Amino acid sequence: MAGTGTSVALLQGTLDVIVLKTLSWGPMHGFGIARWIQQTTDDVLRVEEGSLYPALYRMENRGWVRAQWRITDNNRRAKYYSLTAAGRRQLAAQTGTWSTFSLAMARILSATRQPA
Amino acid sequence: MPAPDLPPDDMPNEPRWRRYLRFWRADPRADVRDELRFHLEARVAENLAAGMSPDDARRLAAERFGDVSAVEQSLASLTRERETIDRRVAWRQVIAQDLRFAVRQLARNPVFTGVAVITLALGIGANTAIFSAVYSVLLRPLPYAHADRLVELREGAQGGGSMNVTAGNYDVWRQRSPQFSALGAYWYGSFTLTGIGAPQRLFALDASADYWRALYIPPVIGRYFGSAEDQPGAPNVVVLSYALWSSTFASDPHVVGRVLTLNGNAYTVVGVAPAAYAFTPTAPQIWVPLALTPEQRAEHADHELTVVGLLRDGTALPDAIRELSAVQGELAHDYPRGGIDGSIVGLPLRDSVVGAVRPMMLVLFGAVGLVLLIACGNVMNLLLARASVRRKEVAIRSALGAGRARLVAQLLTESVLLAALGGVAGVAVAALGLHALLRVSPGGVPRLGDATLDAPVLLFAAIVALACGVVFGVWPALRATRLDLQQALREGSRESSSAVRGSMRTLLVIGEVSLALVLLVGAGLLVRSAIALQRVPPGFDPNGVLVANVALPAARYPTDSAMTTGFERIAQAVQSVPGAVSVALASRVPIAQFGMDCTVRRDGSTPDDGSGVDANMRSATGNYFGTMRTPLLRGRTFGIADVASAAPVVVINQSLAHRLFGDADPIGRRITHCSADAPVWRQVVGVVADMRASGLEEPPPNEVFYPVAQLPFSAMSLVIRSPLPPASLAPLVRRAVAGVDPELAVSGVATMDEIVARSMATPRFTTTLLVLLGLTGLALAAVGIYGIIAYFVSQRAHEIGVRMALGATQRGVSLMVLRQGLALAGAGVAIGLVASVATTRALAGMVYGVGTRDPVTFVVVAGLLLLVAALASVVPAHRATRLDPLEALRGG
Repeated sequence: MAGTGTSVALLQGTLDVIVLKTLSWGPMHGFGIARWIQQTTDDVLRVEEGSLYPALYRMENRGWVRAQWRITDNNRRAKYYSLTAAGRRQLAAQTGTWSTFSLAMARILSATRQPA
Repeated sequence: MPAPDLPPDDMPNEPRWRRYLRFWRADPRADVRDELRFHLEARVAENLAAGMSPDDARRLAAERFGDVSAVEQSLASLTRERETIDRRVAWRQVIAQDLRFAVRQLARNPVFTGVAVITLALGIGANTAIFSAVYSVLLRPLPYAHADRLVELREGAQGGGSMNVTAGNYDVWRQRSPQFSALGAYWYGSFTLTGIGAPQRLFALDASADYWRALYIPPVIGRYFGSAEDQPGAPNVVVLSYALWSSTFASDPHVVGRVLTLNGNAYTVVGVAPAAYAFTPTAPQIWVPLALTPEQRAEHADHELTVVGLLRDGTALPDAIRELSAVQGELAHDYPRGGIDGSIVGLPLRDSVVGAVRPMMLVLFGAVGLVLLIACGNVMNLLLARASVRRKEVAIRSALGAGRARLVAQLLTESVLLAALGGVAGVAVAALGLHALLRVSPGGVPRLGDATLDAPVLLFAAIVALACGVVFGVWPALRATRLDLQQALREGSRESSSAVRGSMRTLLVIGEVSLALVLLVGAGLLVRSAIALQRVPPGFDPNGVLVANVALPAARYPTDSAMTTGFERIAQAVQSVPGAVSVALASRVPIAQFGMDCTVRRDGSTPDDGSGVDANMRSATGNYFGTMRTPLLRGRTFGIADVASAAPVVVINQSLAHRLFGDADPIGRRITHCSADAPVWRQVVGVVADMRASGLEEPPPNEVFYPVAQLPFSAMSLVIRSPLPPASLAPLVRRAVAGVDPELAVSGVATMDEIVARSMATPRFTTTLLVLLGLTGLALAAVGIYGIIAYFVSQRAHEIGVRMALGATQRGVSLMVLRQGLALAGAGVAIGLVASVATTRALAGMVYGVGTRDPVTFVVVAGLLLLVAALASVVPAHRATRLDPLEALRGG
């Protein structure tokens, strides 16, 4: 992955949940999603932008997102993605899993007692 | 949801589903390129806005994006996946939409739907029930480990046909047949089991060790016997059948090692064979080693063994038979009196097990297929009738832009849904039908009892239902959608063609009538056969005769005189049973298939002059003929003077007397029988009338009767004439026999009436089923005729009104309608008669006393169909006469 020392490699399946979360704000094109991730994480999670698209297409095939060509504010033609009901359900499920996981990780890494 | 329609004509090669993609993408590949270009350009623009040089902006954007062509490739494959999904969704939507519409349509016409589903359920159900029987009996593999490689081997006989195998020839085969990995042999035997409850007569197979190698199914417990035990002088061992083990031995898990007394000798139980061996009516209760003695191995003329070979893997049956035939040729040369012609007859074991019932099963299957065709004909007629009613609806949908293919698909969905409902109901009908079938089935059909509605049978039902739906839905659907829009809309629901004649519906009814005729002619021929069979004089009076078998074990009755005395004492004891009018003994009573047939010659002939005929060997007491009420035609029967040491005498039956001596008096003449090598001449002292001893449908066999003292058999039948009901007589007979020797088993107790009825059970079963199927076909055809005539009347209401207004009488109108029905039926009958001449040939082996082109049957059935057609037309004819001319004219 291209990037500087401060960036973090993405875990498998992480990209999907990031994209779903991004789209929960409303329809967005691929570049918009990339930019939002970049801004939100201060460029820590350096997503290789090309990998966004296969993820989007896969989620479209699974019925999580819907795609539609629209005209941008700058009067250009761009493909916008939006969440479907199934996508929203998926995001909710993933959010729960991630919260549990990150809480557990935090406990482990902040532990002060050695195992008995 | 908008109804999808056909692609425009300018895109003939584009798949239909692409239409859906076109709602939002012109071309998926171009879309991918556009999307990625937009991304890169947007990034470059942002970089430029951040103050980078154009070169840096482009380079950084590309770096941030990664490998564009790899992404493009990955997206292309995901797009293809997407297209598949879209197509599937589109089809699912179309089908779901059609199904919803079909359900609504069928629900809106409950009478139509009900009649069609019931008709189809009858047709499909009957077919499924019969197919489950056919599958179980004819198609299912045998239960053995290598069922497909099992062959029954028989010896080709001089003068045609085939015979069982001699022990000597079997022994040679076994040593010189590398093409078989096992060559098992057996013959039938029987044993009396004593020491466990009442003495029991057991049906046995004397089987070689290789029998188990060829016909292997793992034992339930213990093991089968091997080569070391299959030797004369080896310790006696026995394998129990599952049925015997679970009944007599109460499924004792420790039965192996137990010692049984069979015919007075000790046998050690080595194992229990599973129930799967019991799929034929001749399944044994025990197996003991064949243990051929050196003398038996030298026997090359007595054809007693059944031989089953297991082909070596990869060996073709014709090759194996060719190689074995070379050996057999040498045997035919070495033993010219063995009766063999040097050929081998090899038949896959399954064919030899079920070959005898195959014609009957196939006739039933064919008949039930005809019933299905008639049922489907009726349903198709209903669909056509609805097609004409729905012309307006179809026209409107067509005018709204639905293409013809779309409309046909919609109508086909309806007929397939109808057929599916019929199929589901049909499986229920099949379950009931199969239950009834098994209840009334005769015991003689191997594997019929195992018939169930299992997966292959349900698959069959599904395929039949689907085929019905499609085949009989296509024409009505095409018909309904072939229309001139403007005309249909203008006319409303009235069909323009007014003649019944020549339309598809007419042809269907004619076809139904002809199929029903074919069915009924077949059923009629079998009924005529059954009547003819019922009228055959059996040559004895079965009424009031009880039969019971008794066998004397050799261990306790070792000599001929011991057996003779033993049977004399038994007969005396039974004679003293109150109600027993007369008690006789015979080695074999009617009706029995097997028996010892050998050559008989008259005095003055030579062995090679061709005057010998085959005759059955029987032993009987002098009062046997009187007890059976078979008339003594000439001479005398046996008396107390005909003891073992007296001059040998015989009684022969009329057929044999005629064959040997023509019209001359045979009394006092001498014959030799079953003693080809060292002739023993016996004097004929009496001639009795013929008995149909091998079955009522078989000609009387030639028979030679010996006095018991001169030819004692170890197993004989008691023949008891008594006015008492057999149920009360049987226990008294058992008690009387036990009084003589408590270790004797009394088996096969049955009345002569039962035995005669049993011998006709299979033909009666076939006849009953065929009659039922014939009547079903007749009823369905009658419904078809009624439907079309009623339709005719409704279509001609206007014309009938005019005729009546012009003075036609009710009688005239009624006759006009009746004529229509009879014309249809007449055409169907004519076609059916021609078809019957061809199809009844399949019944050639099943009819008795009538030809397969019996004119009486053909005429009666044709008359019956015309009568039914007339009856089916009466109601519509009557309705026609009730038409109010004014109403009819105004309505037109």
